[in-house]
Amino acid sequence: MKANPKDVLTGVHYIDGDVASGYGALAAGCRFIAGYPITPSTEAAETYGRIAPPAGAMFLQMEDELASIAAVIGASWAGVKAMTITSGPGYSLMMETVGYGAALETPFVLLDVQRTGPSTGVPTKTGQADMMQSRWGAHGDYEVIAIAPDSPQELFDYTIKAFNLAEKYRCPVMIMADECVGHMTEKVVIPPASEIELEPRRFYQGSPDQYLPFRPDLDLVPKMAKAGDGFRLFITGSIHDEKGRPVKNDEYKAIYTKRLVDKIRLNKDKIIELKEENTDHAEVIVVSYGISSRVSIKGIEQARSKGIRVGSLRLVTVWPFPDEKVSELAKKTKAFVVPEINYGQIAFEVARCSHGRANVVLVPHGGAGVHRPEDIAEAIEYAAREEKKIEQVIEYKTRLEKLVFQSRK
Amino acid sequence: MDNTQVDNIQAKPAKADDAHPMDNLLRMDRMPHIWCTGCGIGIAVTAFVAALEKAKIDLNKVSIVSGIGCTGRVAGYVKLDSFHTTHGRPIAFATGIKLGNPDIKTVVFSGDGDLIAIGGNHFIHAARRNIDMLVVCVTNFIYAMTGGQVAPTTPLGAYATTCPYGCVEQPFNIPYLADSSGAVYVARWTVLDVRRLTNSFVEALNKRGFSVVEVISPCAQYYSRINRLGDGLDMMNFYHDHCEIRHGEDTKNLDIGFQSKIIVGKFVDRERPTYTESYNKWLARVDEGTKDS
Amino acid sequence: MNPITSAFQKAIQDSGTPAALISIVSDIPFTPEQTNQLGVDFFHTIRGRAIAFGSGLKLANPALKIVSVVGDMMTLGGNHFVHAARRNIELVVVCINNFVYRKVAGQEAPGSHQAFSPYSAFEEPFNIPHLGNSCGAVYTARWTALHTEELAASISEALNKRGLSLIEILAPGPDYYTGIDNVQSELTRFYHQNSVLKNGEDPRSVGIGPDNKIVVGRFTDRERPTFIDVYNIQLGKVLGDKFEPYGKTESNR
Repeated sequence: MKANPKDVLTGVHYIDGDVASGYGALAAGCRFIAGYPITPSTEAAETYGRIAPPAGAMFLQMEDELASIAAVIGASWAGVKAMTITSGPGYSLMMETVGYGAALETPFVLLDVQRTGPSTGVPTKTGQADMMQSRWGAHGDYEVIAIAPDSPQELFDYTIKAFNLAEKYRCPVMIMADECVGHMTEKVVIPPASEIELEPRRFYQGSPDQYLPFRPDLDLVPKMAKAGDGFRLFITGSIHDEKGRPVKNDEYKAIYTKRLVDKIRLNKDKIIELKEENTDHAEVIVVSYGISSRVSIKGIEQARSKGIRVGSLRLVTVWPFPDEKVSELAKKTKAFVVPEINYGQIAFEVARCSHGRANVVLVPHGGAGVHRPEDIAEAIEYAAREEKKIEQVIEYKTRLEKLVFQSRK
Repeated sequence: MDNTQVDNIQAKPAKADDAHPMDNLLRMDRMPHIWCTGCGIGIAVTAFVAALEKAKIDLNKVSIVSGIGCTGRVAGYVKLDSFHTTHGRPIAFATGIKLGNPDIKTVVFSGDGDLIAIGGNHFIHAARRNIDMLVVCVTNFIYAMTGGQVAPTTPLGAYATTCPYGCVEQPFNIPYLADSSGAVYVARWTVLDVRRLTNSFVEALNKRGFSVVEVISPCAQYYSRINRLGDGLDMMNFYHDHCEIRHGEDTKNLDIGFQSKIIVGKFVDRERPTYTESYNKWLARVDEGTKDS
Repeated sequence: MNPITSAFQKAIQDSGTPAALISIVSDIPFTPEQTNQLGVDFFHTIRGRAIAFGSGLKLANPALKIVSVVGDMMTLGGNHFVHAARRNIELVVVCINNFVYRKVAGQEAPGSHQAFSPYSAFEEPFNIPHLGNSCGAVYTARWTALHTEELAASISEALNKRGLSLIEILAPGPDYYTGIDNVQSELTRFYHQNSVLKNGEDPRSVGIGPDNKIVVGRFTDRERPTFIDVYNIQLGKVLGDKFEPYGKTESNR
């Protein structure tokens, strides 16, 4: 189904990432955003608050993040596409409800514009330290999809894709942006509505008394209903059977929960998006995401000018993680270099999937800034030189790391 | 210039005769502060520091707790045991301090968004329990630190960045909320009334129980600018012309509309056992074996 | 819970609202049998967030009637309650006050009171109707589990009320109280002997206090524009023709 022309601000814009995400949400058919102001994500909420009312959609600033995410899930069950927008501290507050939404198989989108953490951190500067939290943040077993855009254009495009994935797999989709990408102003081209493909919600079409809310289709995703149509829905966060009735025995539990994780794990190939370049004969492959992948472009150029064969694997989709791809590349290359603005999160995933076949060099950064391309280039040179097979993730000592080391003497 | 230096710009070292009597209660190494021209928070802090001196309490036993926001920065500038906590949680945090060491006088100094929006639950519960603390709520009708979003006190029809077509929500009347949750002392002043504000602080610091002093302040950069109300001085003139002192007024009549009259004064001053008093009495009953199972 | 479910059933019938349009949002685990009998959509949400969840449901589809039945309203859900009342989002908020958490035996909830032995606690409870009224709720009432007729009438009125209505119900939680000798019957006898009907009473004076009289009745019933009303008026004023009133057309989906 195509986007509604009333919702799409077609044209060439010069806007920042947050604003682009707000435009993307409306273009995707989102009809409800509940949020709470939190730097550096606030502009997305403000943008949507401005464009939504004339389009018949609603934005509501709730009293806190807990209320925001709860209202978003409620709106989704009323039948509309819904989204919330936050940053690190708010993301942590929302976690219980994210788990609840995942357990109910509620489609919704959550934009996390990451800041420097932990805790209040530096609200106005970037970070990439919420990546593990996006997958494991709530208690219990469930799976989410997480996307890391690297530009305002991607924030527009992938907000729309996030809604499509959420509807298709009935799960929470996290857009893991960061302050740099959110506050960066670049050209964003918004195509005409006829060129924007939207995934409609799969509503159950049959008779209410035959409806089994959690009976899945072949792709493991059940058809959805909404409140007010006479279905007598029974929706609960307690573990339930196909009808939604709470159950306790472990057989039902296995059948139910396994599907929650399998619907993402078994559909990985259709979900994961990667951007791979020059990996075939590479000595070193840089695995990056978000703003770090932008910086890596320059770092890779510098390393190549020194004669090193460097490939790049950009994770557009971070969760589910591309285990098979990384495993396959580990057999062909000498080492991976993983620059991230944290002290090691996705690097450990890369190490896990390499099975010791390639070294993994982490280029960390504490936030309140981004890597310098030189840091990444130097790490690539080191990785290309290092002959020994080292089993742990190697933390490359960048200029900042050397400062830390000196300060401790 | 390396922009990490901005926060550490040093004020010129003060000569002996440059020193100000309040310097010992302010963190002078953190000056200049971050508040804008025309902001009223600084006045509230001055009134508070003056009250600390007048109140004759042991300043080593006073803890000041702030949340996130412009007013949330106050703890960082006042030289007491200071705590800059997460958004909305200063009252919960202060409850912990108080119950951990009941000898400490806890003061929560934060903004309307921090205390009443995200912190609303902690506010009403601490009032109900009558935890002995002073809550200073600086109301500027907006979320200033994050760029001017709507607050739970933003008047109907006023503009903010997240209500670009005007605010559609009835705002809270904070004294009424405090009163109906059980606060034992409730007062409201604007930053124009510096002396009366200081006296309220003195009374509240010496009061046992949950006390709330709401301080109405201009926000020249966001609230006034977005709503075309002039600068800080224009707002002070507005307060001068539109405030009415009505001590003892029923708190339900204290609503503030857009550019409407503002009623100030001391509205509630009553006695109720504090949380620790009730707890100790209960514990004594338990010890005497008269506890019902 | 059963007397309350039957009160609900009667209320839904009497109110004239089709059950299919009613969604009950609750952190109390109703059973599928109960909700099927009522004919409503049911959402079992996490502790305390039923009001926030219900607000989302309502604002996304204003044709729905939402009843938020909250047990943990005044603990976890306090903030959501006061803000929803302030906004006057059209919800029926039913607060089940059983003085103790039903599943976590002995742990106090803010409704506990020391004089109400053997349910000792030393904290002052909330005067819930007063708090609701002072935050802007348009309808406040309190009943006990014994007053099923009046409760049904209140719920029915609230379903037809424009704005946020609050009904506090004092009810024992069956699980906790069975097994302790005669406690359940002691409690219901207590309600019978100690409740006094005072319709129209100022909510300020209906706190559950040491004199043990439980004041029941319909306390306030007034009119205030709902959130969507004010939203439509304000945006209509500013945007003029470009704005279609929210909640009137199907195109809001």
